Amino acid sequence: MPHVAAEERAPVFEVDVLPVITRKCGACHSEKVQKGGLNLVSMTSVRRGGESGEALIAESLDDSLLWTMVDGGGMPPEGEPQLTADELGVIRRWLTMGAESTMPVEQADTRLTQHDILPIVLLRCTTCHGARIQRGGVDLRTPEAMKKGGKNGPALVAGDPDNSLMIQRIESNACPPRDQLLKYFVRRPGEAEVRVLRKWIAEGAQEYEILPDVATTEPDPLVTDEDRQHWAFLPPRQVTEHASIDGFLAEKLDAVGLAMAPEADRDTLIRRAYIDLVGMPPSLTDWKKWHDSPNADWYEQMIDELLDSPHYGERWGRYWLDLAGYADSEGGVSADPLREVAWKYRDYVIKSFNDDKPYDRFLIEQLAGDELVDVANEPVVTQDMVDNLIATGFLRMGIDQTGSRTMNFVPERLGVIDDAIHVLGSSVMGLTLECARCHSHKYDPIPQRDYYRLKAVFQGAYDEHDWLTFKNRYLSDATPEHQQRVAEVNPPLEVKLKKLTSQLKKAENEVRLELLRQHYPNQSEEDRTETLRALGVADNNRSLPQRILVEMLQTVELIPDEDQPHAVVEALHVVAQLEDEIASVVSEMEPPLKVRALWDRGEPSPTYVLLRGEHDKPGTLVGPGVPSVLTNGQTPFVATPPFPEGTPKTGRRLAFARWLTQPDHPLTARVLVNRVWHHHFGTGLVKSLENFGVKGETPTHPELLDWLAIQFVDHGWSVKELHRMMMNSRAYKQSSEVSEESHRLDPQNQLLSRMSLKRMDAESLRDSLLFVSGKLDNRSGGPPDAISVDRDGLVSIEPSKEGKWRRSVYLQYRRTEIPSLMATFDYPVMGPNCISRSVSTVSLQPLTMMNGKHVRELAVAFAERVESQLDEQSDDGGRVSLVYQMAFSRSPTDEERQLGLDALKQLRMKWKDQPEMSLVTYCHTILNSAQFLYVD
Amino acid sequence: MKHNRTHPEFDSSGSRRDFFARTSDGLLGAAFAWLFSQEMFSGQLAYAEEAEHESTELRQVYDLKPRRPHHAAKARSVIQLFMNGGPSQMDLFDPKPYLNNMDGKPFPGNVEEIGNQGTDDIGVMMGGRYKFARHGESGMWMADILPHTAKMSDELCLINSMWTDHPNHDNALYKIHSGRLFMGYPTLGAWTVYGLGSESQNLPAYVVLQDQLGPPKNGARNWTAGFLPPLYQGTPFRPTGSPILNLKQQYEQPTEVTETARTLLSSLDDIHRSKRNYYPELESRIESYGLAARMQLSASEALDLSRESKATHAMYGIGEDWTDSYGKRCLLARRLVERGVRFVQIFMEEQPWDSHADLAENHRGACLRTDKPVAGLLQDLKERGLLDSTLVIWGGEFGRTPTTQKSANGYSGRDHNMQAFTSWMAGGGIKGGTTFGKTDDFGHKVVENPVSVHDFHATILHLLGLHHQKLFFTRSGLEERLTGIHPPRVVTEILS
Repeated sequence: MPHVAAEERAPVFEVDVLPVITRKCGACHSEKVQKGGLNLVSMTSVRRGGESGEALIAESLDDSLLWTMVDGGGMPPEGEPQLTADELGVIRRWLTMGAESTMPVEQADTRLTQHDILPIVLLRCTTCHGARIQRGGVDLRTPEAMKKGGKNGPALVAGDPDNSLMIQRIESNACPPRDQLLKYFVRRPGEAEVRVLRKWIAEGAQEYEILPDVATTEPDPLVTDEDRQHWAFLPPRQVTEHASIDGFLAEKLDAVGLAMAPEADRDTLIRRAYIDLVGMPPSLTDWKKWHDSPNADWYEQMIDELLDSPHYGERWGRYWLDLAGYADSEGGVSADPLREVAWKYRDYVIKSFNDDKPYDRFLIEQLAGDELVDVANEPVVTQDMVDNLIATGFLRMGIDQTGSRTMNFVPERLGVIDDAIHVLGSSVMGLTLECARCHSHKYDPIPQRDYYRLKAVFQGAYDEHDWLTFKNRYLSDATPEHQQRVAEVNPPLEVKLKKLTSQLKKAENEVRLELLRQHYPNQSEEDRTETLRALGVADNNRSLPQRILVEMLQTVELIPDEDQPHAVVEALHVVAQLEDEIASVVSEMEPPLKVRALWDRGEPSPTYVLLRGEHDKPGTLVGPGVPSVLTNGQTPFVATPPFPEGTPKTGRRLAFARWLTQPDHPLTARVLVNRVWHHHFGTGLVKSLENFGVKGETPTHPELLDWLAIQFVDHGWSVKELHRMMMNSRAYKQSSEVSEESHRLDPQNQLLSRMSLKRMDAESLRDSLLFVSGKLDNRSGGPPDAISVDRDGLVSIEPSKEGKWRRSVYLQYRRTEIPSLMATFDYPVMGPNCISRSVSTVSLQPLTMMNGKHVRELAVAFAERVESQLDEQSDDGGRVSLVYQMAFSRSPTDEERQLGLDALKQLRMKWKDQPEMSLVTYCHTILNSAQFLYVD
Repeated sequence: MKHNRTHPEFDSSGSRRDFFARTSDGLLGAAFAWLFSQEMFSGQLAYAEEAEHESTELRQVYDLKPRRPHHAAKARSVIQLFMNGGPSQMDLFDPKPYLNNMDGKPFPGNVEEIGNQGTDDIGVMMGGRYKFARHGESGMWMADILPHTAKMSDELCLINSMWTDHPNHDNALYKIHSGRLFMGYPTLGAWTVYGLGSESQNLPAYVVLQDQLGPPKNGARNWTAGFLPPLYQGTPFRPTGSPILNLKQQYEQPTEVTETARTLLSSLDDIHRSKRNYYPELESRIESYGLAARMQLSASEALDLSRESKATHAMYGIGEDWTDSYGKRCLLARRLVERGVRFVQIFMEEQPWDSHADLAENHRGACLRTDKPVAGLLQDLKERGLLDSTLVIWGGEFGRTPTTQKSANGYSGRDHNMQAFTSWMAGGGIKGGTTFGKTDDFGHKVVENPVSVHDFHATILHLLGLHHQKLFFTRSGLEERLTGIHPPRVVTEILS
């Protein structure tokens, strides 16, 4: 023990405590390295604390953050040398005996700067006195403008808060005005905030030269070079050991004495490739073509053909839509308002995949499409320009309750921005960035500062102090052709639609009246019309008599249509007809010019770190930047306005997107390559698709991952080329049968000693059911297909006029109305996006597939198709074969043929007077079988 | 069909983990996942006492096996009578003579403290609309529109000092159910079954009974598992027809044909499986078809109210116009709890208590529908000795303002009040005949013994034998709890 006397006298920081700190805490909290923004080398910096803004020393031991952290609070972190009991004792005595130090604590400069008051003014005042509105001619966004004031004189008098108009207005509650609090979503400043404003004015309303915290050419004290050594933060390494996927895999298999499984048979490969690339089995003709092909390269040809199919984009675009959290509704509030033309983004994604748009370009458009071309100043708008704008919808897909009349305050807006950062991090960067919103990331070297630098990247477009309402999130840039078509086609249809809509309203009321007349013949006609009026009143504003009337109506509405009196059924028929007419008029209409987009407006508010993530606890002013750990920490982030002579924009997102798509970016290519691998092989080379950070899974084949990433970039970021590379590998063509040996030596299939059996996801299951039964409508794109909810909560999908359905990617995704069939098979709930689908096996699936009406109807259609393709002489043997070929893309084995023959015979007997139904039951059973649901 | 329950794949904890990690978030997934876990873990009805409580920290397998609580439990199950829309505290449970005297006069304080949607539509003070009297041995105050509940007052503990953080229905509903103001967090029921599992073998652990007039505001988000594994979410029983979608065949087909089809399917699947060793999911899928069939029977039995006596029906008001629907759900709740269901929520359609207009008449209607069934439930549970182990909770998402609010037909109702409201609890470990907490002279704000939503939840968990701090789930490296970051207070004063 160096300081025996410490027992008697009060310990002193420099003598007793600092040596302990230097020894055990110094590696992370020194002048040079300041994890969590914390430096422990002097009393001054200890008193200042770290990013939470809390001092480490307090009146009592329990309130002292320093003590809490070292006494069981996880510091020093696991794996590092811990404090000994003696060392803890020293700190404890020091804290309880007055926390003394020899050096005087430098009095921190307590003078207030403009950055102490600007966050308050932004939060409370600038909605009415800022960029958009300048009530009374007052703009409060800068001290200068405050001093200038408006028509009533300066807003502040330096040195004299009592005579400063802004203080007077705030203290008398004149500002913000009572009746406008909710209109503009502001809350009154708290007393502490008013004190700060007063103090700053009293001190002379000084403005200091303060630069935002951004990356400089100096080393970053918050992130060390050691932090940068995690594999995923270093650029992919060029490896030369092997020149193919198979080479890398074989090496690891060899090491444990395993070889790849035998190649799967041709039919299996056909079905596997079809389901993988287009999400549906081949047609009978296509299956025969490949099955009988004499060409040696039939397989490669098939892959090429599938990649050229328009259905490819529908399948692979859907994976991207999961990542973006695509939804046709806003969510957040019960009303779950629909997002008009969100579908344009869906179509953009599908088209991009079909066109094999280079992935780097695809990302740039989605992150900064509005900063690529100054559309507003272009003489002619092209579709590509419009697509750039549509692409930015990527950043607008999260749950957004800010359309609500009470949920559009700054905290809710910050939530929306956080969702966008979450989506970006989890889908593109493989980082859990959102963890750094309230404090530095617990595991990864992402300081809280970096989260806010990233937020600053988006500030020009997503500004919580200058928020766009739902109505104002649309641009109407469109090609001249589109404009012309809308002008020609829509006006007469709109007239028609208006007429039909009013007719429909009348007809619906007629149904209600008829229901009342039929079921309550004694009710007065006044009460009936009063019922209709009551329906127009929000349910919580109805008077009791109104509630009773409405309830009477609701009770009889519950009666199934088939039990309703004739007059009601007739009235319902009129409604149905009008609905059909409306649907047909709508389908003839040209889509609106509107585009749902995110765009920079060139005037970002300053960005502050928010202590503990709280909206009213501003910390350091920061500028735009990227996570330091992904750079050398000494590279400034340079954003320049892209259109200096044109539309004002910051260029921040464009600079970010360009950085993200550098060829040697450590994460971008790796994350994408891993995801494509996941879809083809069942798991990623890195199992945690969204987390490549310290707590993510280690890659099973790191060299292969890097090799693929480099190949991908070298091939021009072509996703289709990546498919070819993977699908043409021997590894992909393996059988899914698990040998005893392979199970023993590679139980989780981490070495890829076989192909994994996969269950179809919700979309491919439903699309395959529709395809096999001939009920698939091949039209693509455009407004989403309607869904309907019945009284029991069954959510179904409305068929088209021809009684068919389009592919599942075109379904309306309303967060509160997920189609039951899809939900049963793990269709995701977007929160805010979906990184990978879960695969459940629950009894609701058999109930849906066996007992449900819809699948039965499809089985009937399937059976009809089978019958129609048979010739007169065909027997049950022919039936069984055809069923197998259409549903499973193969012929039955002898055993299966015999089973089918026996089953059809028995079923025919048991159906008695409806023997023709036997094939329906057989087909229905086939659609229920594991063979249909699972892909080898 | 070959059923090999001791198949090695099912015995290794690894594949079990894989299997449960994959359990779904399908609409009714929880029920079936539960049935599965029973099937796979032996099929014996095990009681919590026999099972060690595994610390949630160490939990690797997600299932609904009964778990030992953190400490001795007072209540084994919960029935939550959720009063959507926000019942008025000063009209039902918390009499305010001073407010009554001020009826028609302006609010004496700052009106900004009342208005949620600005101050334009705030009217004048509004006295209580019903007569109050004292009831039971404790002399508990209650309004005369709750005559049946009043008779049970010695079982109740009124908490008059509840408060919440948001004046909007949506957010206040998220808060009261999940402890957070936003969507996507697990509800109290989900946390409960995550912590304790279930004691029923054939029924879901967490059941939701909806009104046939429609779903409540916020729909399925009132019983979501949030980020917990989906098997912990509530299973809604449909109010009309078959309780679970597609439980019965939705098309015509003779039974013999269906049987033949089943046999055919198992033959097809046997062939399929015979060539595919080491794929436990194929086995699970086959099991799921068998369990789907069994589900039909057990659910039907539990739901069959005709097995109850006429006297019981009468006690719940079943067969009477106003009370039939709510009474049936209350009786059903008792039958479910009796069969080991852990958590039952009963909802009404939309938000019948939300009385911005015509409060006097609207609350009368809501009371008429629920008062007798609720009292019947308490009485019935008591008679059967179930009240000691069943915690009954009554209340909404917030309370109502002391002032009137302008609506379509003038000033006749009250706005939302997040600063004070009343909830009550009864049974499982609650000190009956208690009135806890105080509000100001208007019933506007809590002035004594405030109970936050987190406190409320911590108290309920405590009665169930769970400690709010020990019950957590690790997500993105963070320990998530029902009661949030700041420690709540278990309201020990109301415990027996």
